[in-house]
Formats: sequence, C-alpha cells, structure tokens
Amino acid sequence: MWNPYGPISPAARRLLGVAAVLVVLGVWALVSGMGWVSQAKLPTPWSVASAFGRLAMPDQNGDSLLFVATKWSLLRVFVAGMLVVIIGTPIGILMGASPKINAAFSPLIDPFRSAPIVAVVPVLVMWFGIGELTKIVFLFMGAVVYLIPMVRDAMQAVPRTYYISARDLGATPWEAVRHGVLPMAMPRVADAIIVSVSIMWTYITVAEYYNAEKGLGQLIQNARRFSAMDQVFVGIFVIVGLALVTFQLMRTIKRKLYPWEAE
Amino acid sequence: MADPSDQAPDDDGADLGATAMLEAPPAATEPVPGPAAGAASQLGISLRGVIQEFPAPEGDGVIRVIEDLNLDLEGDGIYMLLGPSGCGKSTLLYMMGGVRPFDVPSPTSGAVLIDGRPCDGPHDDVVMVFQRYGNRPDMTVRDNVAFPFRFKLWKDRVPKAEVDARVDEMLEAVGLADKANLRPSQLSGGQNQRVALARALVLRPRYLLMDEPFGALDAQTRDEMQTLLHELHRSHPCVIVFVTHDVTEALTLGDRVVVLSTRPAKVAADFRISEPRPRSAIWHRSTEAQRFEERILKTLHSGSGHGHLRVSA
Repeated sequence: MWNPYGPISPAARRLLGVAAVLVVLGVWALVSGMGWVSQAKLPTPWSVASAFGRLAMPDQNGDSLLFVATKWSLLRVFVAGMLVVIIGTPIGILMGASPKINAAFSPLIDPFRSAPIVAVVPVLVMWFGIGELTKIVFLFMGAVVYLIPMVRDAMQAVPRTYYISARDLGATPWEAVRHGVLPMAMPRVADAIIVSVSIMWTYITVAEYYNAEKGLGQLIQNARRFSAMDQVFVGIFVIVGLALVTFQLMRTIKRKLYPWEAE
Repeated sequence: MADPSDQAPDDDGADLGATAMLEAPPAATEPVPGPAAGAASQLGISLRGVIQEFPAPEGDGVIRVIEDLNLDLEGDGIYMLLGPSGCGKSTLLYMMGGVRPFDVPSPTSGAVLIDGRPCDGPHDDVVMVFQRYGNRPDMTVRDNVAFPFRFKLWKDRVPKAEVDARVDEMLEAVGLADKANLRPSQLSGGQNQRVALARALVLRPRYLLMDEPFGALDAQTRDEMQTLLHELHRSHPCVIVFVTHDVTEALTLGDRVVVLSTRPAKVAADFRISEPRPRSAIWHRSTEAQRFEERILKTLHSGSGHGHLRVSA
C-alpha cells in the first residue's frame, strides 16, 4: 500500500522533484502552445527562452540588458542584506538575552512583521527621495523586521541550563550569554539570516518599482508597460533563480560553519 | 571519612520531622536568618529556616515548596538529598549553588550560608553538575573541560600552563584522556556526564552540587558513574551534595542521607551510613542496608499524609 509518510531515497526524491517541474512545464507548454490562452497573458516557454536570449545578448555598447539588471539587483540585495545582518543580528541577540531589552524593543519591532511594509514606500520616498537610499532602506526594513524577532527567538530557545551552568562556573552575566547561550543559538541565527535574505528577493521588485534605471524589478516593470509578457517571465525566472542560488549558497555555508547542529 | 557516629538504624521512625539531630558540634540549629552573625570560621553549608514559595500557576496565592528547613553539611563527605520527584530538592540545590533561575526571590525567607557567609550569588567554591550535561556540542571534550577558564574570574587566577595541566589531570581522572579531541555527540551519555564532572572538578571546588546527575543513564552506566564518583571523591576530597530520588543510589554513595518529605519539603529523616565505600553487593543485601532502605521508604510514605500543596494568600 502507498504510504505518504514513509521514507524516501535521495534518488527517488530528486526524480519526484524533476518530474513535478517537468509536468508544470509540460502543462504550460500545452496550454500556451495550443493557443488555449492568448500569448499576451501566457507566453510559450520557447518565447520566454528566446526573450531570455535577446535580453542576455550584449547590445551595441557590449552591455547585456539582463546582466546589468541582475548586477544592480544583486548589489542592492547584497548591500541591504549586509546592513540587515550587521544591525539586526546584534539587536536580536540583545533582545533574546535580556528580558528587559526585549520588553522595550519588541513593541517597536514585532508589529511590523504583520504590517504591510510596502505601504511605507511613499513615506520613504518623501523622506529619502527616489534614489538608491530609498531602495536600500526599504529592503532593509522589509527584512530586518523578520530577522530581529527570529534571532531573539533563537536565543530564547537555548535551554536555560546553559546560562545557569555558565553563571555557576564563574561567568559574568554577559560572559554566560557570550559563551553559554550565543554559540548554541548560532545555527538558528544563521537560519534567520537565510530567511531574511530570501525575503529581500521578494521585495526587490517593489524596491525597484520607483524610478529605477537598472534592475530586475525595473526590467519587469518596463516589459509590462510594453506588454512584453515573455520578458516579464524572464525577469521573474531570473529572480527566482537568484533567490534559489543565494539560498543554497547560504545553507551550504551554514552547514560548514555549524556541522554539529544536525547531530 | 567513614564516620562511626552511627545511631540511626535502630531508632525506627523516632526522628520523623526532626532536623539535623545527628550533628556533633553544639548544634547551631536554631534558625538564624540574620546574615552571618560573626560565623566566618564555620565551614560547611548551612540552611537556616529556609522557606521557598512560588506563585501558584493559576489564580493568586503561593505554593510553599520548602517549609522551614534547617540543615548543616560539613566535612568532606557525600551527602545525599533524597526525596520524591518535585519535592523541592533541586530548588534547594540551586539555593546552595547561588544560581537563581526563578522569577521570585530564592529563598523566600531564611538563610543559606556557605562557610558562614550568606550565599547570594554564584560562589567560587561551589560548582554544580546537572542532569543535562550542558556540554557545548561545538567544542571538543578538552575544550569543554577547559570551558570555565574562558571566564575572566578563572583566567585571572589560573595561568595558562596550569590550566592545561589541570585539564589533562581531570581527563585522566574521568577516563577520557583518549577522547580529548572528540565532540560530545561522539560520546555516550555516561561519557558526556564524565565531561561535566571533569569541568566541575577542574575548578577544584570545596563543594560539588549534583542535581540527579545520573538520572538519565542506564543502570549499568549509572553503576560505573557511581564508582567513578567515589574514586573522584577520594582523589579530590570535597563536600558533595547529591540530589536523587533513587534509594539504592543514596545507599550506594551516601555518607549521610537526608530524606526530604513531599511538598512542602522538610527534613523527614537524617542518618549516617558508616559502611565504607565502595559498598559491595553483599552489604546491599545485609540486614543493615535493608533496615536503611525500609526506614527511608517508610519515611517517604508517611510523608504523603498531608496535602502535597499548601496554598496561602
């Protein structure tokens, strides 16, 4: 009898994954290729592929439109991501370590997790103009409100014994946090960073919606204006691809840094 | 350390509720909650009129977990605190360790004195070992044993060369010298607890407090660990306060066994065992051992007469 809860071999898992993607691609090809849905709504896979080729091709100046857009989006996510990690992680660690700091900060941060951060964009434009700064600040805010609570939760999830034991062994409260609690929380802190950076890829199109001259969000925006649905799809696929690559990269780094976590 | 002041086994039950009646020195047992009344010379751990209350989980009011408890532990020996689960043994141990994992003051009233001084925080001479080993999974066995020397307190006191020597000595003493470079996940439960023991003893504490340290181990490993603890106590003399709910463990290790009643915890019985360690299986089957066991069980059962919880506004 088929048991959905049973274990699965790595080979079977890969096969299932590839098969699922192929099925979706097949249905897509069928629906669009047979003309059941108009090209303006759903371009065929091959027209998306050829749009990808056209966009990736260097123009007369030797610049590839797609490459330049990707470079700018990556750069923005990277800069905002660094800021999120550098500023957000210590705040989350302090909140997780100290109930007092948490009491003061959590009303300022927690509500924004469920607030429509996109609605803040007009405010940011008023404050920071329509240049790069607004885009970075928006990406930063969108991700940091997730990172901080997750880092705090990671700290709080460490069994209290580690803190008590370190204190008992002669640690000052700060030493007990630094040597007893923080190292134990680090794998989950790394998970929080991975999730936050992934969230930034979902916000990049919004960030580049306003007055971007270059970037994948702008590329999508531009293509939409000219009803070039195939190019819109190219933009979406490139963002999904970049998000996947950064996710896998960060997860590999995390496993290298904390090999003991899975044990 | 075999102490022949043996008067316990025969006077059955006469001592229910009595406190520290076996202490030879002119017993300073009257509750003296006032901090350190010029008692700096008095060595040992003293609990004076200790009361512990916690807020009731639902509604207002408080639950009294420890009731007017007096106890004096002095002289190098293994002291067993024996009591039913949830009777407040661990709470008592935390008080002696000076760690306060609670949101309420501990003790609620009364005093805990270490060498005559009130204990109001972690004490350099008191180290605890918990049932959960508390080993850092990202560090090797050796680094785990050397862990306390990362703290300024010990870094300032013990030079690096001595740290290495002490760590080597402790790894040898607990039988993990050949596993120094492994990680905790590569060790068994018993070996992990050896690491925790080594990490505590490497500080050469006067007092070692153990909170059901072998409770999570299988029977055979527990036997091995009890033997090891006995050997360590002989090579590194100190006062060991050992919390357990295992009667056999108490009889195997204890120079003195303090039986606590169910909540609120009081000293229900308190006696010395003069039989030298290691105690053979033959001794465990002897009339003497049987009598101890019967008395302990009787004490524990008679304690459950009054309510387990006491709530006062």
